[in-house]
Amino acid sequence: MEIANTSTILTPVPGEHARGVRVTAVQTGIVAGILAVMAGTFFEVRPPEAYGVCMACHGRDLVNWTVNELAGTRLTVAPASLVFPALTSIGALIGALFASRTSREFRWVTPDNPLKTFVYGALVMNFALIAGGCSIRLLLRSAAGEVVGFMGFGGMVAGVVLGTWWLRWRATR
Amino acid sequence: MTAAIATLIVGVVLGYLAQRSRMCFIGGIRDFILVRDTALLKGLIAFGLTAWVAFPLAGLFSGLPRYTFDASDVATVALTIAGGFGVGYVSTLANGCPLRQHVLAAQGARSSVTYLAGFAAGAVVFDVWIAPLVLALVP
Repeated sequence: MEIANTSTILTPVPGEHARGVRVTAVQTGIVAGILAVMAGTFFEVRPPEAYGVCMACHGRDLVNWTVNELAGTRLTVAPASLVFPALTSIGALIGALFASRTSREFRWVTPDNPLKTFVYGALVMNFALIAGGCSIRLLLRSAAGEVVGFMGFGGMVAGVVLGTWWLRWRATR
Repeated sequence: MTAAIATLIVGVVLGYLAQRSRMCFIGGIRDFILVRDTALLKGLIAFGLTAWVAFPLAGLFSGLPRYTFDASDVATVALTIAGGFGVGYVSTLANGCPLRQHVLAAQGARSSVTYLAGFAAGAVVFDVWIAPLVLALVP
């Protein structure tokens, strides 16, 4: 049953944090909010505005910048990443790898069909680039006071609600 | 170069904290609907509120002009809402937001590794096919 699998992957299970540092989602949210604003305001991760953290746009910058360098193409790269690309994706992988290694949570598993998630990844990237931000940056743009960003965030919430209903409907059918 | 180093450091901190807290910007809403679990949802709200307070504060110290955004036409608004909807819907099916997928890939979930491969391929696909298509369809 899909719902059961999902909850074991994403929600905390009692006793699972026995090893390693304990961090709550609220603490993560606060630190991420401060870092995102700081990076955008003081560390030249701009323009565009409210660009401090975005997994999709920064990933796009990294991929397109690398392809441009290797193949001499002219794929889109945000102004902030023209000289050298944003490395958020690489950093997140390093940080999470370090965290999972030190807490001994690293292990190879195949929770879902890899081909299916490949398509999901490509779809999410395309939708995010159409919207101008992944889930994180849509919220960041809303917090910066951009009305369109807030509408995009509203659309995202609607998408999650419908997606969750669909998952539940399919699981209980 | 400053931006690259800054984003690398932000990424490492974020990746570490997200792995320890299982933070997910999609899962918060999903868990709330499914089982009324608010742990991740609180993280999402905390991120939004913190950034909302920090933006004007940072503006005071940096001396930069207030954030201004380009005036938007109907097409941009429609595309942003539609894109946001797609991000939310597909991310729910994929079991997590892009940040969560990076974390899962780094703790050994093979399907998240292929998700990231699709993510990278999607960036090039968007530039080569989807963006011209959208520009052609939208006036």
